[in-house]
Amino acid sequence: MPVGLPEFVQNPENRCPVILLLDTSGSMVGEAIEALNQGVRLFRENIQADTKASLSVEVALITFGPVQLVQDFVTIDQFEPPTLVADNVTPMGEAIEYALDLLTARKEIYQSNGIQYYRPWVFLITDGAPTDPWQDAAARIHQGELDRKFCFFSVAVEGADMKTLRQIAPPDRPPVLLNGLDFQALFVWLSKSMKRVSSGKVGEVLALPPVGWGQITM
Amino acid sequence: MGWRSLSRSVVGTRHQHRQLPCQDAGGSRILGDITIGAIADGAGSASQSEIGANLAVKTTLDYLTNLEQWLQPDDQHPGWPTLVRSPTEPQIKRLFERTTHKVRETLKQQAEQNGYGFEDLASTVLAFVATPHWFAAMQIGDGFIVGSSGDGTYQLMFQPDKGEFVNQTTFVTASTALEDLQFRVVSGAPKFICAATDAFERLALKTQDWSTYAPFFKPLEEYLLETPNPEEEDTYIMGFLNSEHLNSHTDDDKTLLLCLYESSGL
Repeated sequence: MPVGLPEFVQNPENRCPVILLLDTSGSMVGEAIEALNQGVRLFRENIQADTKASLSVEVALITFGPVQLVQDFVTIDQFEPPTLVADNVTPMGEAIEYALDLLTARKEIYQSNGIQYYRPWVFLITDGAPTDPWQDAAARIHQGELDRKFCFFSVAVEGADMKTLRQIAPPDRPPVLLNGLDFQALFVWLSKSMKRVSSGKVGEVLALPPVGWGQITM
Repeated sequence: MGWRSLSRSVVGTRHQHRQLPCQDAGGSRILGDITIGAIADGAGSASQSEIGANLAVKTTLDYLTNLEQWLQPDDQHPGWPTLVRSPTEPQIKRLFERTTHKVRETLKQQAEQNGYGFEDLASTVLAFVATPHWFAAMQIGDGFIVGSSGDGTYQLMFQPDKGEFVNQTTFVTASTALEDLQFRVVSGAPKFICAATDAFERLALKTQDWSTYAPFFKPLEEYLLETPNPEEEDTYIMGFLNSEHLNSHTDDDKTLLLCLYESSGL
């Protein structure tokens, strides 16, 4: 009697969560916010074009200020990049804490549904200085990185308060100063990185693509 | 009557493209009414992990086999087949702790003699001893061991040892290996055993509750039932391991170790 081949379980896709934490304060007005909007759209297109990443990557978008959840976690096919408008102040501390809470809640949803996931990324982009207390947020970032709960990246647009940003960023992952308004190169890099994260294999070291869009400042 | 078994490891398409060797290994020994099996999955980040995986399997099998031979029935020592009652948890713990220790020692020696680091040999280790009366298993890292009494249901011995994230696991070379070691003994005779590396996890187990998916295991059991000498008749299993269908679901190295106990005819 011929034997059939083993059949496979249909398990939910592994998830690769990323939070875009974007400064939309008044100083971003004009060219900067335009370039940022284009960058986010490019990110969506690039992830969508990769079959594996498009099934895995889940994006959430938070802007500040005020702190707003513009888009809760969705897979990339359901992500409609909004047109962001720059105004108001820079409550960066509150925004970071909001993002980390959102991430914790998302992990709980994954865990209760038996969904496996990759180490999440939080991606902060700012051109300013916090207008609120940020020390607690910084402490949470440092602890979270130490416990390997997430990867926190910070990108400074020209004019950002680098001194404070360096204290907020994890010691091992200092802020990167964006070349001019080259958000395009930045988001291409981010989508490439997400593709690598979402195809990461057990026991393999993840090598990120070279940062061609900014300077790492110590 | 008795045990029949086979173990096959095939390089994943991802490693093939990069011209990397298969970093999986597996093997088994049949000693009368006992079968001993081991598989290992070398870490992708470790430079010598195919050596680590092969050496881990060989050391595990040698150690458990020697122990079994030393325990062969004579005036002083009861052999494993005659141990009708399952060993206790502490006994099994000691057995597999010693096995782990032995593997670590051997890998350390290998690293020293060849001038590379212990961590360069990083690998998972899964092993089992099956007798007509009990079934004991150990696991460090991911992958799985499933046993069946032949009733069409399949019992997972351990949840794959993952960290929080899907691409994390533990290895026998880790300083925490002895704490990460999972071990278990169940009474009753297993009729079918399947051990597999993590390439098969998402295909054979439901990640929601880590239950086993019978339609994955059933054909493998039937294949062994119909194949008296699987080591010589491996066309079916090699066909499966090299199939487009499987490769479209995993690009990882893949190892299957299958054992079946045929009771004597009626």
